[in-house]
Amino acid sequence: MRLRPLIIATHRDIGYFFAGLTVLYAVSGVAVNHIDDWNPNYVIRREVVEVGVLPFGEPAELGAEVLSRMDITEEPRSVVRMSREELKVFLDQRTLTVTLPGGQVVDEHARRRFAFFEVNYLHLNTGKGFWTWFADVYAVGLLVLACTGIFIIPGKKGLGGRGRWILIIGLSIPIAYLVIAVWR
Amino acid sequence: MKRFLILSMALIAVAAAPVMAGQTESYGEGVTLDEAVAIDVLLANPNDYVGRKIRVDGIITAVCKKRGCWMQITNPESGDGVRIKVEDGAIVFPYTSMGHEAQAEGIFEAIKLTPEQIEARTEAANDLQEGATCDKDGPKTPAEGAGCDLPPVDQYVYMIRGTGAVIKG
Repeated sequence: MRLRPLIIATHRDIGYFFAGLTVLYAVSGVAVNHIDDWNPNYVIRREVVEVGVLPFGEPAELGAEVLSRMDITEEPRSVVRMSREELKVFLDQRTLTVTLPGGQVVDEHARRRFAFFEVNYLHLNTGKGFWTWFADVYAVGLLVLACTGIFIIPGKKGLGGRGRWILIIGLSIPIAYLVIAVWR
Repeated sequence: MKRFLILSMALIAVAAAPVMAGQTESYGEGVTLDEAVAIDVLLANPNDYVGRKIRVDGIITAVCKKRGCWMQITNPESGDGVRIKVEDGAIVFPYTSMGHEAQAEGIFEAIKLTPEQIEARTEAANDLQEGATCDKDGPKTPAEGAGCDLPPVDQYVYMIRGTGAVIKG
């Protein structure tokens, strides 16, 4: 029985099936690798505004006063007095941090970073449940892709020649890194 | 093949439904304890609760911006808050959940500060009193800044090692 046609067909079909997800995971991988340099999930914009000295009052009253002075008509999600000098007004995807009684407001808008939030949600398996299982299937798929991939080309360009050396070089990079960073 | 495609899309829609619902959502193991400890009581007598599994209720007033690996739950009556810390990736609290009511539970822990940490916190607190910021990301207050929100009781900071939470939509 000739095994190579089966290997090629398996590699081809699994490759097609997971190509899209591999692209998404690659994008997310780069995004979260650099999490120290940026926020891959949210775009957070912050500005400071002055609304003037605020009167004494209950948190809800103060919150309403701040919203009125900022011409915001949205109903707040909640208003919390964090301390004697600080009030927080929570709106949908927006938080106002008010200094009392001076009236300085840190107005912070947060929205999901388009596309990145979703791909990171998948890649980091935030939702768990069904995605845990599907991601496991994907991992097995990648394993099959790797195992079948190295046997696709026979001869000098395959595992018997050039392919072998490329395989060894590819493996040696993570091993060398572990030797230097972990096993020394 | 078309049938397979339709079946796949239906499966994805079913799987994604809870994510898009925007209703009360459970994280990790959810909440199993029937009664919550008031946060002001907790922080007034922390040693009574260290090592115990407790539940706290309140408003989410801060969330880890990048990883969602902690959130601060505050008692809206007193302004007292406690941080719920989880392992990175084990639970991810959405940044946009700030302002929502939440219940969270886990093991209450006391963490002894090093002399360097105490010094840094003292300096940060002094700076804050003078109107300075707590970290490079922008204006901070003792209730929001990195580590600045924890009450300076002795040489310890207190937090809940979170096992689960429920956030109301």
